[in-house]
Amino acid sequence: MRIPLQKINRALKKRFGGRVQAVVERGVLVLRGSAEDWDGVVAAGRLAASPKSRWYTVNEVTWPGAAQRQPKPVPQTDESLAGRAPDVLLIGAGVTGAAIARELMRWNVDLLWVEKEHDVALHASSRNDGMVHPGVDLHKGTAKYHYNRLGNRMYGGVCAALGVPFRRTGQYLCFKGRAMRPLLYFTLPYWKWLGLSGVRVLGDKALHAAEPGVDEALHCGLFFPQAGIVCPYGLTIAMAENAVQNGAHLSLDTCVTGMDVENGRILAVHTNRGTVRPRIVINAAGVFCEDIAQMAQDHFFSIHPRKGTNAILDKKAKRMVRTIYSGMGTTATKTVHSKGGGIVSTVDGNVLVGPDAVETPEKEDFSTSVQSVRATFEKQRHAAPALRESDIITYFTGVRAATYEEDFIIRPGMFTENIIHAAGIQSPGLTAAPAIAQEVARLAYGQLSATTPPARNAAYDPTRRPIPHVAGLPDEARAALIRQNPDYGEIVCRCEEVSRGEILDALRRPVPCDTVDGVKRRVRPGMGRCQGGFCGPLVTAIIAEEKGISLEQVRKSGAGSAQLLRPTKQREQKTGTEGGTEDGTL
Amino acid sequence: MKREFTCIVCPNGCRLHTEVENGAVTSVTGNRCPKGRDFAEKECTAPTRSLCTTVKTLGGGAPVLPVRTAGELPKGRLFEAMAVLNAYTQTVPVYCGDVLIPDLLGTGCAVIATDDWAPEAAERK
Amino acid sequence: MERYDVVIVGGGPAGLAAALGARRTGAKTLLVEREARLGGILKQCIHDGFGLLRFGERLSGCEYAHRYIEMLRGCGAQTALLTFVSRIEKSGEGFVLTLVGREGLRKVEARALVLSTGCRERTARQVSIHGTRPAGVLTAGTAQHYINRMGEMPARRCVILGSGDIGLIMARRLTLEGAQVLGVYEAKPTPSGLSRNISQCLEDFGIPLYTSHTVTRVSGKERLERVTVAEVDARMRPIPGTEQELECDSLILSVGLIPENELAEALGVPLDARTKGPLCDQSYMTLVPGVFVCGNALHVNDLVDYVSESGEAAGAAAAHYVPAARGLAEVSADGGFGYVVPQRIDTTKPAGKTTFFFRSLAERGKTRVRMLADGRELCKKTYMQLKPPEMERMVVDLSGAGLHAGSRLTFVMEEADT
Repeated sequence: MRIPLQKINRALKKRFGGRVQAVVERGVLVLRGSAEDWDGVVAAGRLAASPKSRWYTVNEVTWPGAAQRQPKPVPQTDESLAGRAPDVLLIGAGVTGAAIARELMRWNVDLLWVEKEHDVALHASSRNDGMVHPGVDLHKGTAKYHYNRLGNRMYGGVCAALGVPFRRTGQYLCFKGRAMRPLLYFTLPYWKWLGLSGVRVLGDKALHAAEPGVDEALHCGLFFPQAGIVCPYGLTIAMAENAVQNGAHLSLDTCVTGMDVENGRILAVHTNRGTVRPRIVINAAGVFCEDIAQMAQDHFFSIHPRKGTNAILDKKAKRMVRTIYSGMGTTATKTVHSKGGGIVSTVDGNVLVGPDAVETPEKEDFSTSVQSVRATFEKQRHAAPALRESDIITYFTGVRAATYEEDFIIRPGMFTENIIHAAGIQSPGLTAAPAIAQEVARLAYGQLSATTPPARNAAYDPTRRPIPHVAGLPDEARAALIRQNPDYGEIVCRCEEVSRGEILDALRRPVPCDTVDGVKRRVRPGMGRCQGGFCGPLVTAIIAEEKGISLEQVRKSGAGSAQLLRPTKQREQKTGTEGGTEDGTL
Repeated sequence: MKREFTCIVCPNGCRLHTEVENGAVTSVTGNRCPKGRDFAEKECTAPTRSLCTTVKTLGGGAPVLPVRTAGELPKGRLFEAMAVLNAYTQTVPVYCGDVLIPDLLGTGCAVIATDDWAPEAAERK
Repeated sequence: MERYDVVIVGGGPAGLAAALGARRTGAKTLLVEREARLGGILKQCIHDGFGLLRFGERLSGCEYAHRYIEMLRGCGAQTALLTFVSRIEKSGEGFVLTLVGREGLRKVEARALVLSTGCRERTARQVSIHGTRPAGVLTAGTAQHYINRMGEMPARRCVILGSGDIGLIMARRLTLEGAQVLGVYEAKPTPSGLSRNISQCLEDFGIPLYTSHTVTRVSGKERLERVTVAEVDARMRPIPGTEQELECDSLILSVGLIPENELAEALGVPLDARTKGPLCDQSYMTLVPGVFVCGNALHVNDLVDYVSESGEAAGAAAAHYVPAARGLAEVSADGGFGYVVPQRIDTTKPAGKTTFFFRSLAERGKTRVRMLADGRELCKKTYMQLKPPEMERMVVDLSGAGLHAGSRLTFVMEEADT
């Protein structure tokens, strides 16, 4: 494989005038130099690498702001893991890591699974649109295409086993202009070749009968039956619980800080909870997968984080969409690497609009902005004219871990023997997760077999009983459940009709949960119209009682997010007169 | 000296215009009733306010009990009153309206409970 | 299945009054409340100013609730506490409610319904507050619950967005309990709360009020660290370049109340876009026969005394309800009004003294409000001033107006000479 080094350097010279240069080291293209800002860094990477590249690119170009970025504080330290020597150290508990953990436990392996946040699915896995993609814009020959196709097929079975709601709704791509319709028929052989069967062309009448919310100006469309929708963090939590049930040891608040590598082998991994000596390491660390690769001295790719914002609309907006649709061929949808986004009817009955795509140097910048919500709406309004910002009940942002090749990296280490990467995961990572997990488990089995092949886990159970969704049960079943346990009859969140029983269940599952947001992600209090205004205090009190902690110790999310600062009567009161004169006159 | 302020006696919230000379109120306009005039006089010479707060409890049940002054305190002594009330703990059952402190800070103003409370098993919410 | 003449959903001040109103007629009445105790939002309103009209006394909210709960005791109404109305369906000429509680799931039948479901607070995201999602951003009502019911302080150094009454009350409460309130920021050019609250909650404590300002961004990873405030233009859009950062650990929002009408909408009850509550006639019956609404679910009130008034009337009307055709006259109001309630008059009922509530859209000086029935002036009243935060009540005698189905009643506002 020849890397066109001269061609790349010419392009770099043209853009950066010699400040940025490319070299090839150990078969990997490396960029070095300095750019004017982060956008310049990304531009350099894009000149060197593209989805068509057959080589890997590492981008070490610096920029003026680089030194100022604050690294996220490392959580508490102890020695609880010191001396451990697991078979596998799995880094990262997003959907990729959770799927891998679940798959690995088919075998009798000593799996130590670490996650630096206090809960699973706190990064991209809880901040995406939940789409299970058919793979419309994926290209044969890419890892994205390969794992998406396999993963998509597995979704029904995986979700059924885990008790996770999944709707295979299908997806509509809608086009302007009646003249498009005959052209769409010409695309059908392409979809078939791509492995998508059952794709249909729809005319004006059929399209609007199926999705009345679609703009009148969009006259025809393509329907992809393979598309679906799932709750991405619900699935991650379910996979994690199943993995733990089957023997995985999940250690939250655990951050990998360094590794000892010798002769191409990882000998030790340092964490804030001590040093461990795994036989193999699996890198599923999301936006930090490059950092892990560097620690493992297996640095052959670079991440350029890309933010995407989604908005959730009130359930009343449900009239706007039944499945998933987006408008194509309008100027608004011509964005690179954004997957277009769309209008999605979520599994919980809300409407989701988004996402957009904005390059950012910040790996953990989850802040939203009014501009990105507005931009998202502008874009999607071409397809759905009924979109109203006043229907918005919340919005959120996620960060994609994009490589410059814009593809997944699912492979053993290039220079280091005992590492396997599940890196560069961006869309369609959610869809691909079950298939990526199978491949990674296969690779892990292979690496472990070099010394001792793992035995099958005879007690492996791929199923998991979910927390009952009580409000969704038919009356008789609901009545019976309440008779058995009256806590299921006491409604705490009145917007989403969530009972005390379900909240207690969320606090008692195999993956530890003790925060307000953790309860919210598991059983939904706080996700409705009032956004936790009424139920927040109640959920806080339930957590305090269940965990035997004080109200001030109950956190919204991570360390430092306590909501209540002190009891009201503790402090010394102000004496004298703040804001008035001594005798009280105005 | 002219002073202008809002009457807080009733929901009307009349805007009162007063003239004060040598510490006495010589004119009040803008009030829709006699209570407004009385309020204006007091406000310019010795303003008072009611105080509504909570006191801590002991023994299970609701963790705090709402209370208020049965009359009004000198406006400048509100934080002093808060300190006294924050040091107070209710331990025996009370009914709405019961007097908890007959005379707060020697002002002649009583403090009453504004809800029932009893130290029974903690209520559900 | 248990059968009731009237089932009331929501045991706050409106529902309590409705239960009393229904029981006075002898109707078999059930009051359903989702919390463990009656009183609704009044349980956390420990401040005074309640009941000046109803009882001639200056009570705290919890005392006001206590009075009504005492009146309810022994009047014969059934109550179901810690019970949630999961569903209401029309059944024949009545309704079937599915109730969920610790003791199980049961259905009850009602000839008439009173929805006294109150309102909820507008959230941070509904006013486009962006940035991170740290702890420390909460609505004033939630802060009130923490402080007054749980005895916990959610703030040490806070900014309040919105000069609605709840925000003003909480500015005082937080200050009395030892917190530092940096200021109250209001996007509109005039305050949203009652004048007397500006006076006794802000001016008394030297807390500054900044009108035509809003909060645009919050920052902080796990706990709020600072907010960005900016000046806004006449359309309430932030003016670039006017941003200021304020260090604080809490942002308390008092940016409006929204009537809760999920159950009403599920029954097909049409809402008034101006009040966000149902359209109703003078007996508080909505456009769906047999469904009555009162209190804050109908329109956001300032005085609980008027809530009780509408509740008692709605409860009594629900108790008397028999299915019959109505001859509805429409009530409208000109552009000077925020809204008028009721929006319909049932002309088949005997015409008499009818209570209307309205709000002015903007601050006005001396104003004459006139009411016309089919073009003829029926009554007029002059107000020295009108302000949007202050709801007005006008009693009009409709007898002799000769109203019929299709009549039009119109409220107009005009400047009065001094």
